[in-house]
Amino acid sequence: MSDKKPHLSRRAFLGRTAALAAVPALVPASVFGRDGAVPPSERIILGGIGIGNRGTHDLNWMLPEKDVQFVATCDPQKQRREKVKALVDTRYGNGDCKVYADIREFLATRTDIDAVLSTTGDRWHAMAAVLAMRAGKDVYSEKPSAMTFAEGQAVVATAQRYRRVYQSGIQRLSEGNFTFANELLRLGYLGKIHTVRAHIAPWDAAEMRHDWLPEQPLPPKEEVDWDAWLGPCPWRPYNAAYCSGSWRNHYDFHTSCIGEWGAHTFAQCQVALGLWETSPVEYKYVNNDSGDGMVATFANGIKLVLERDMDKKIWHGSCGVRYEGTEGWVAIADGYSKPEVSNPAWMADFKKLVDDYCARTQRPMSHVRNFLDCVKSRRQTVANPVMMHRSMSTVHAANICMWLKRDMKLDPAKEEFVNDVEANRFRSRAMREPWVI
Amino acid sequence: MSKTRMHLVMIVALLLTSAVPMVAQTVASQGDEAKLIAVLKSSEASRQDKIAACRQLAIMGGKDSIAPLAALLGSEDLSHNARYALEPNPDPAVDAAFRSALGKVRGLPLVGVIGSIGVRRDAQAVGALTKFLSDSDVVVAQAAARAMGKIGTTEAAQALQAALPQAPAAAKLDFCEGLFRCAEALAAADQKEQAVAIYDELLKLDAAHQVRGGALRGAILTRARGGPKLLRQYLRSDDYILFSAAVQASRDLPGDRVTKALANEMGNLPADNQVLIIQALGCRGDKAAVPALLDAARTGPTPVRVAALQAVTELGDAAAVPVFVQLLDDSTAEIAQAAQASLATMPGREADGAVMQMFQSGEPDKQRLALDLMSRRRIKDSMPALQQAARSADARTRQEAMKMIGDLGGADQLPTLLELLDGAQSPQDLTAAEQAITAACTKAKDPLAQAEKLAGRLSQVKPAQQTALLRVVAAIGGPNSLKTVRALVDSSNAEVRSAAIRALGSWRTADAAPDLLALARKTSDSAEKTLFVRSYLDLAARGDMTLEQRLDMCQQAGSLVQRINEKRQLLGILGKIDSPEAMNVILPYLRDAEVQQEAGIAAVTIAERLMRGRGPWPYAAELVEPLEKVIQATTNDQIAKRARTLLQQAKEGRRKK
Repeated sequence: MSDKKPHLSRRAFLGRTAALAAVPALVPASVFGRDGAVPPSERIILGGIGIGNRGTHDLNWMLPEKDVQFVATCDPQKQRREKVKALVDTRYGNGDCKVYADIREFLATRTDIDAVLSTTGDRWHAMAAVLAMRAGKDVYSEKPSAMTFAEGQAVVATAQRYRRVYQSGIQRLSEGNFTFANELLRLGYLGKIHTVRAHIAPWDAAEMRHDWLPEQPLPPKEEVDWDAWLGPCPWRPYNAAYCSGSWRNHYDFHTSCIGEWGAHTFAQCQVALGLWETSPVEYKYVNNDSGDGMVATFANGIKLVLERDMDKKIWHGSCGVRYEGTEGWVAIADGYSKPEVSNPAWMADFKKLVDDYCARTQRPMSHVRNFLDCVKSRRQTVANPVMMHRSMSTVHAANICMWLKRDMKLDPAKEEFVNDVEANRFRSRAMREPWVI
Repeated sequence: MSKTRMHLVMIVALLLTSAVPMVAQTVASQGDEAKLIAVLKSSEASRQDKIAACRQLAIMGGKDSIAPLAALLGSEDLSHNARYALEPNPDPAVDAAFRSALGKVRGLPLVGVIGSIGVRRDAQAVGALTKFLSDSDVVVAQAAARAMGKIGTTEAAQALQAALPQAPAAAKLDFCEGLFRCAEALAAADQKEQAVAIYDELLKLDAAHQVRGGALRGAILTRARGGPKLLRQYLRSDDYILFSAAVQASRDLPGDRVTKALANEMGNLPADNQVLIIQALGCRGDKAAVPALLDAARTGPTPVRVAALQAVTELGDAAAVPVFVQLLDDSTAEIAQAAQASLATMPGREADGAVMQMFQSGEPDKQRLALDLMSRRRIKDSMPALQQAARSADARTRQEAMKMIGDLGGADQLPTLLELLDGAQSPQDLTAAEQAITAACTKAKDPLAQAEKLAGRLSQVKPAQQTALLRVVAAIGGPNSLKTVRALVDSSNAEVRSAAIRALGSWRTADAAPDLLALARKTSDSAEKTLFVRSYLDLAARGDMTLEQRLDMCQQAGSLVQRINEKRQLLGILGKIDSPEAMNVILPYLRDAEVQQEAGIAAVTIAERLMRGRGPWPYAAELVEPLEKVIQATTNDQIAKRARTLLQQAKEGRRKK
């Protein structure tokens, strides 16, 4: 298969867009036959997969970037793909954004696209990432990035295999307050760390629904391609509520209250601890409906405590983390103007610590920009596939612990539960044909 | 319905009740396998019940469930669910069942079965799968190629290599995927020569960029020897895909030979390619790259120079410091800024020393830049120089130095800072000294004790300094300091008296509230009353206190607030308190024509915040009555509309799905 085949259509596309002042003047890499490898001075051609509310938020972060041009979107729901097209066309002042219902057609034909923004529901995150990377695209994927251990492994392997850049939407890893907290921990301000606390979504439960919503008449495929919407999940009859967000709390589609926020907060903790290439080895079951208070222990003895924090005693915002050491603590959540610290004097070092982090890692305080920079430099993103997979493995293990209602041990090297056949059977779910990767 | 049929229906109903789990229970109780199998076999059970049974068998199915599940593999409706149950079952009989199904099922179920064989890495299936590589159904051929890759044995790789030339165009990427998987599996099994042979073959294909790039990466990194040689070859490639893949691979290839190869090739390349190599050199962490990076930083296209400065900073080598200093004066603004950023973040004492030297130059511009760098680098050793600069003839240098002393120093710097405050030559000097004293006190081990000491000095300093110190004391707080400041409210000096009242209004905590309230109630002077009330409201707005304390302050203020601006200020504070009680305090103002609109906005804003997200909202029931009152009282359509929406949600207790 050659990567030169789409030149005619791309040139036609460029011919139309070049005259428009709103469109960045840089030439996309694909013109030079460099699809999938964007040199530093060139433009990144972006496409979308499954962009809804959260995705629109991400898209609105990406569109103002001067070296980005968004050209097409793909969604099995007509209303959503048309909404994205309208947003993009309004921004560029043209009607050029293309829409696709079938992800396979989208990926196979749009070889001009360098990277995709994938913001489907949880059930499609890993599948979309694998298919896109296999088609040579770099991927910015919303969280939680995988439903199972096996899906996470597939994302890691595919990114490495095709040397793709992948960023999981754990955007707090690129925010000053959270970075400062991580640097305090890394540089020893807190002394020896013994406990980290991670917020889990207060409104959901760990146990999830297995029932079906009442069957409704299937809409025309052009309006909603129900088979594609389900993707790799077990079949169930159509109900419009699934497509408007009520897939949450269903076992087939969601990763529970633990994954809802744990996808963020476990990753934040594991990055802060420098333990993003592993997962806790022990999980203690707690007899409640959410996993609140569960203690997961890393091999070095540091405890990760899951906190629902319903009465807002630990944080007064969402997706909080708190790191506790022998010399003090730091806590941070969304909406904080500055982190809460046991020693106010540390705050004087805020700017230096964040600046030094950016210089040391060459990662800016913009999650989207970090991704776009890495598309060009081919460096590892801050929320790279391995980090995503290992923090999501913590989510999966905690969920399985809650479902089986007992303590368990995980061997992170083998990625299997120790002497626990039953738990190991949760590590993957057979994918529904033809969505088999 | 016949009796026999009714009997059957009842049996199935009983089986389902006990075997299929409740809505929210992932794992059924132990020992249910037989019942679940019965559901699978029952002609009365619905598709939903059978799917639920399969899900349970995925967790706890044993040998007995294999045959009943295998019987469903050809079913369009249940094939996936049967695989869902079989795939995680560790019993080897599952593999035999899947292999057996290969010859029986067709279409999408066949695609699924092939996929499951791949997931289970069943090496015995290679022979049977090989024939599907040339299946006329391209989806089947694609699935077979990927499954062979998962199995990843020498035999699987050979079968894929043999079939690759005839693979249909639509399946080519899947065949490549299969070969990549084989190469990875073989390399992991220490059969590296075979793996390298596969990567070399993939590299030669006229394939998509990701295949060629991935193959080159594999070919470089898997070779026991010869990786660096191959890397060098492709660093000279005109094909940007392969060049980029080679550079990317270099990050995982340690050794100074690789560093040298990258550095040597860099000079002959276009700017984009140079930037890519420079970034890789920074990432690799080998300091042997520093001389080449410094050369690149000195001359050449701006993006290359900026990238080189960033990379050498990443490596953290002190040899770069003189170059950073030199480039601070570069005629290209981007370079000067990049050099400044590098000097600010480069670790080590050499960079500290360079900054201190810059400061000692005596040139105001350089001194100010050095001050900024000292702050960014947090150079604690710079204190003597800063104390000297705080007495500089240059006003900006003087003021920045004072701020820096507060920023970098602690309580030990307070004597110096108080001396500077006393000698302040201008209001700007005074402000700088005041900020520095606040910063230094805040970082002290016992800030309240420091504030008390400062409060003790209040009577000894000039009025302007007294005002500044009062603000410092208020920012830190403490009961003893409060007593001192409270006493100054009775001062005969109007300036001091006014400053003391304002200090109470900017007190850090709610402790000053009773004093301000009592003073406001006691005074008969209307101008002074206004000052007390506004200070009280300032404290209610900004003080560090609990929600309950703030609400109490607002309730207490009700009887004192008379003027329209004061009412607006009070409503502004109440509107930020997330509590149904705050709404109740607001309600009377809905009948006040002067602030009716502000009251309506404050009330609905609170309700909106209390019912954020999907719910359930614990306060929903308490919001019903206040919202009804808002709707009744407001004359503003927008506020009424917002309140009606909220009222409906509050009555339902959560947002409608």
